[in-house]
Amino acid sequence: MAANNTDRGTSSFDFDPGPVPAPSRPVDRFGFVKQDQSGSPDELAKCKSVAEQERDGRRIRKWRKMIGVDGSDWKHYVRRKPQVVKRRIRMGIPDCLRGLVWQLISGSRDLLLMNPGVYEQLVIYETSASEMDIIRDISRTFPSHIFFQQRHGLGQRSLYNVLKAYSVYDRDVGYVQGMGFVAGLLLLYMSEEDAFWLVVALLKGAVHAPMEGLYQVGLPLVQQYLFQFEHLVKEYMPQLGEHFSEEMINPSMYGSQWFITVFSYSFPFPLVLRIWDIFLYEGIKIVFQVGLALMRCCHDDLVKLPFEKLVPALRNFPKDTLNPNMLLPLAFSFKVSKHLDELQHEYEKRNKDPIHHEGSTSKSVDHKLLDKSVMKTQSHDIEKPTFTQEKKDQG
Amino acid sequence: MAAAPAVNKIKNAKLVLLGDVGTGKSSLVLRFVKDQFVEFQESTIGAAFFSQTVVIDDTTVKFDIWDTAGQERYHSLAPMYYRGAAAAIVVYDITLQASFARAKKWVQELQAQGNANTIMALAGNKADLLDARQVEIEEAKKYAEENALFFMETSAKTAANVKDIFTELAKRLIEAQPAPNPSGMILVDRAENRSSNSKCCS
Ligand SMILES: Nc1nc2c(ncn2[C@@H]2O[C@H](COP(=O)(O)OP(=O)(O)OP(=O)(O)O)[C@@H](O)[C@H]2O)c(=O)[nH]1
Ligand SMILES: [Mg+2]
Repeated sequence: MAANNTDRGTSSFDFDPGPVPAPSRPVDRFGFVKQDQSGSPDELAKCKSVAEQERDGRRIRKWRKMIGVDGSDWKHYVRRKPQVVKRRIRMGIPDCLRGLVWQLISGSRDLLLMNPGVYEQLVIYETSASEMDIIRDISRTFPSHIFFQQRHGLGQRSLYNVLKAYSVYDRDVGYVQGMGFVAGLLLLYMSEEDAFWLVVALLKGAVHAPMEGLYQVGLPLVQQYLFQFEHLVKEYMPQLGEHFSEEMINPSMYGSQWFITVFSYSFPFPLVLRIWDIFLYEGIKIVFQVGLALMRCCHDDLVKLPFEKLVPALRNFPKDTLNPNMLLPLAFSFKVSKHLDELQHEYEKRNKDPIHHEGSTSKSVDHKLLDKSVMKTQSHDIEKPTFTQEKKDQG
Repeated sequence: MAAAPAVNKIKNAKLVLLGDVGTGKSSLVLRFVKDQFVEFQESTIGAAFFSQTVVIDDTTVKFDIWDTAGQERYHSLAPMYYRGAAAAIVVYDITLQASFARAKKWVQELQAQGNANTIMALAGNKADLLDARQVEIEEAKKYAEENALFFMETSAKTAANVKDIFTELAKRLIEAQPAPNPSGMILVDRAENRSSNSKCCS
């Protein structure tokens, strides 16, 4: 039962979305209520010239060809021309295809197809110890986005369902604050069932290394990433690294939410989307690269600031540095893959004494189910997964 | 008020807010720093940082405020924020008994792991929601007295007692550590030594 990727409401609860409330305040093109930034024209909201529109049209046609009908040609294309795919993704996935492409590159589409009915089961029949925690945070996730603003509205209900389903699916991890921003972002581009499987694909590692350690007790993966990031700063910007040490800046003071939410928390949305395009295809590396690029942009100011000015500066970068077309090329210029591997080994060596990790091997049935599916995803025997016809029913 | 000397003394103090999820830590800080309140405050991921000053007579206390995430899973990040803190506000929600229990745990942890000189306050927040009260004011008062905490019920929503709790902390900081600069020189503590209390044990 493949979900319709244009339908946001595959909720297993019966609901009546009712008339969509007209937003009382103006929203930007992504649906966020506009902050009153008078005088700063949203460059993306500007009317596009005819030439730009034509270019966009050509770009979308190219993408459609690459994907095929509902993703049927995608795997084939990626295998033949991985570099082309990488380059195009780095230039940004067209917004109208984003939801579908995210599911294809993350491996979540395969998980969904291989586990029919599982999501429904998790949402409807299981109960979770985290239900109250999730409810408490629902209206505190993207509170400025119209999709999530209406109390008990479609946005809030799907967000609740996805988070609850995950907390049942992996009871060791349960629900952790921060997941809501990841799930919320996904829900803006796909149905809740699709979003759920994408969260699974990321945390259990369908394509890249699993990221569940971001949310496990002790936040082991957050600790590792911060260790790696701190060393990368020292390596690429020694003067700044030295300054951080002198001012006792711990990378957790600015970087923990970068990793925990993959930049989906408190960064401008156009940048967030471009980062996610790359993140889903290339992996967590892009978070390090963007972090380094931000530091590089502000380097000359940062090295002069004392602690109490430095922390705010690291948490609120100037608006012009957050332009994706400027920031991302700079991010790509940091070649960090090898360093990241080395630093990971070093981190593991330092942490040889096993303190935590009681909950990392689970006995739950759901887990086994997934482990199998993940292996299947990676094997080559599913050349052409059968996609049930979708997309037609727009009612 | 004593006649203010010509030169203002500046004192930096690291302050940390601890407490259960949704008790209103961020809301208290937002009220104190910007005098605002939002109905749906985003949950804090990791920690947030603010600074704000309070003027007490001739001394300006400059608070560097760490607003931490309340969820238990983020516990492992907390020590970095309370270590070396000159002041701490432990927040609970008067409408949730469980949040009071969690506040007690934070107090214990600060007493055991934190800096012995950290000045601690206990805030019973959401005091505007009287109808839903679960934690009696007497119960909290008694606990605060037993543990030498400074206690207030607050409301980030109505602003009741919010300024007061920060101001009181500022006063106690000054009393605990009179500015050691009779010459009138401006005093600015460096980096982690900013909580001047921690000098003795660093
Ligand atoms: N009625 C009332 N509501 C409040 C008050 N303070 C906070 N709230 C509400 O309680 C919710 C949580 O407030 P936050 O300030 O985000 O709580 P927090 O302690 O920072 O939560 P975490 O960051 O998740 O740990 C928000 O929706 C606030 O609007 C208050 O004094 N009265
Ligand atoms: Mg908060």
